[in-house]
Amino acid sequence: MRKAILTIAYVLFVIPAGLVIRVLRDPMRRSWTRGRDSYWQNSGG
Amino acid sequence: MSDLVLGISAYYHDSAAALVRDGKPVAAAQEERFTRRRHDSAFPAHAVAYTLGEAGATLADVSAIAYYEDPALKFRRVLATYLGAVPFGLSSFRDTLPDWWTSKRRIVDVVRRELAGLDLGPVPEISYRRHHESHAASAFFASPYESAAVLCVDGVGEWATTTIWHGQGTRLKPVVEIRFPHSLGLLYSAFTYFCGFKVDSGEYKLMGLAPYGEPRYADLIRERLIDLKADGSFRLNMRYFEYLRGQVMTGRGFEKLFGGPRREPEAELTRREFDLAASVQLVTEEAVLKLARTARELTGESRLCMAGGVALNCVANGKIVADSVFDELWVQPAAGDAGCALGAALAVALDRGAGRAHVGTGRDAMSGALLGPSYSDDRIADYLTAGGIPYRRLEPAALAAEVAKAIAAGKVVGWFQGRMEFGPRALGARSILGDARDPRTQSVMNLKIKFRESFRPFAPSVLADDAKDFFDLPQDSPYMLVVAPIAEAARRTVEEDSGLTGLDLLKVPRSVIPAVTHVDYSARVQTVRQRDNPAYHQLLLALKEETGSSVVVNTSFNVRGEPIVNTPHEAYTCFMRTDIDLLAIGGFLLSKADQPEWKEELDWRTEVPLD
Repeated sequence: MRKAILTIAYVLFVIPAGLVIRVLRDPMRRSWTRGRDSYWQNSGG
Repeated sequence: MSDLVLGISAYYHDSAAALVRDGKPVAAAQEERFTRRRHDSAFPAHAVAYTLGEAGATLADVSAIAYYEDPALKFRRVLATYLGAVPFGLSSFRDTLPDWWTSKRRIVDVVRRELAGLDLGPVPEISYRRHHESHAASAFFASPYESAAVLCVDGVGEWATTTIWHGQGTRLKPVVEIRFPHSLGLLYSAFTYFCGFKVDSGEYKLMGLAPYGEPRYADLIRERLIDLKADGSFRLNMRYFEYLRGQVMTGRGFEKLFGGPRREPEAELTRREFDLAASVQLVTEEAVLKLARTARELTGESRLCMAGGVALNCVANGKIVADSVFDELWVQPAAGDAGCALGAALAVALDRGAGRAHVGTGRDAMSGALLGPSYSDDRIADYLTAGGIPYRRLEPAALAAEVAKAIAAGKVVGWFQGRMEFGPRALGARSILGDARDPRTQSVMNLKIKFRESFRPFAPSVLADDAKDFFDLPQDSPYMLVVAPIAEAARRTVEEDSGLTGLDLLKVPRSVIPAVTHVDYSARVQTVRQRDNPAYHQLLLALKEETGSSVVVNTSFNVRGEPIVNTPHEAYTCFMRTDIDLLAIGGFLLSKADQPEWKEELDWRTEVPLD
């Protein structure tokens, strides 16, 4: 039962939200930018 | 009045507890040593009880508890991963979200309940330090330096996978970072997985395999898997990795890139695995060197401290030392997540006003990493007597002399002395020792004692003052975390390898200490000073008197798959299950020939899972 609920939640909420977020601003920052000098980010600690 | 802070790492891998008094580590241990479950991730109840007992304290005496990461921040990363992996991450979402929702995101409450359940007094306030801050604190605050650059590289903490810090006095300032999913640790783990070894425990096997191969895949890795910039920053090409979506590291992308499916665990190693190991090792070394140079540039410091799982890659550490970008390198002996317990405790202790009293003495704060339990001669005698175990009792000098003679004669000796090491390496407290000069020692110890794959080299201990005679190592290496070349004067001319390939190359003696010389003339060295481990130092002096050389094979006191031994009983059991010839335990010497027959109901090889 729990598996079914989680599957439904994934299909109905996680997939749409994930697709929208990926279009707007990929939290995983997957793209390579060969022309960039650096990928360092300021430290959050 | 002393200020005690207890640090805890738990629930992922290598749970541990560490107790710090007025900013000084007084006790630390990994939970696995007590439960005998390798890399145990459970709450470290035994380790907590041990550290408090060692200090003669209860929780009522502890001012603060420090947990080694920020659970809420980590949960946000987990949620971002679910969102980032759509539409492919369903199985990971179903398998992991319930645990996160019910307990992992509220870990402080869980820890409080666990501590209360130990009945060791009222539970003090619990705070957390972020994962990479815990690593950085374990590296810098325990180091001998007043100021230093600090580099932490691992799989992932909350978000950070690679961080540079500037340590000054009692302060640590974060400088820059790289975030998940871009991770050198996970890159290396992906290759570990693809070559058929276990993730989080098999990485050092991949490192040991690398010298057998050619880095013919290195260009492919640089072109397709990692965009590595000149300043050491990088991004991975996530199309080739599966860890965002599920519980495996690689999938079809890797198979297509490297010409076939992953090697099955325990299957025969092929040329491909040798070359993959060599390739990812080379790329990792390049990345770590660039990171180190950037750390120098950003901080202006001439000394470097390191921690994080990738800091256990002692070949890469050796390249930093050889590169001379820093005057000195210090690596936290418990560089993995167990060391975060210590780091979190140190960070909280220093925030509360503790100092770093050891700075300026030339010594670090780790007491030779000998922070675990010890057993008095009286307790050992009680154990031996109760078991009807034959032994001889010797004064320390006589014990050292007799053990040295035995090693010189080719015997293998179990060495159980003093406080147990904290961290993955045996450093002469829970060690199995052998003759480094004998070319047969490598195969004898591999097959008859460690019951392990034959490609893995053993590592030497040597008196610090003698190290230059055998190794090109410009600094001390007290924690066996630096690989150095064998010195030219100690090498032997090698005839053509007679067409030998692969693992057979290890059989060719390449130096006057062949048992610890890898096929590329390298060795993972421990330099020993009297102040860090007097008993071990005394033994190496006796060995030098006997043979002219203080170099000894030092491998961990365990069989493959089990944690390093902790108690006299575990030491005796390992002694009797293997072909170790002598056991030197405290002031007692046990000879295998004198022992009664060893009987077990079950074949222990079926009980201890392979690592």
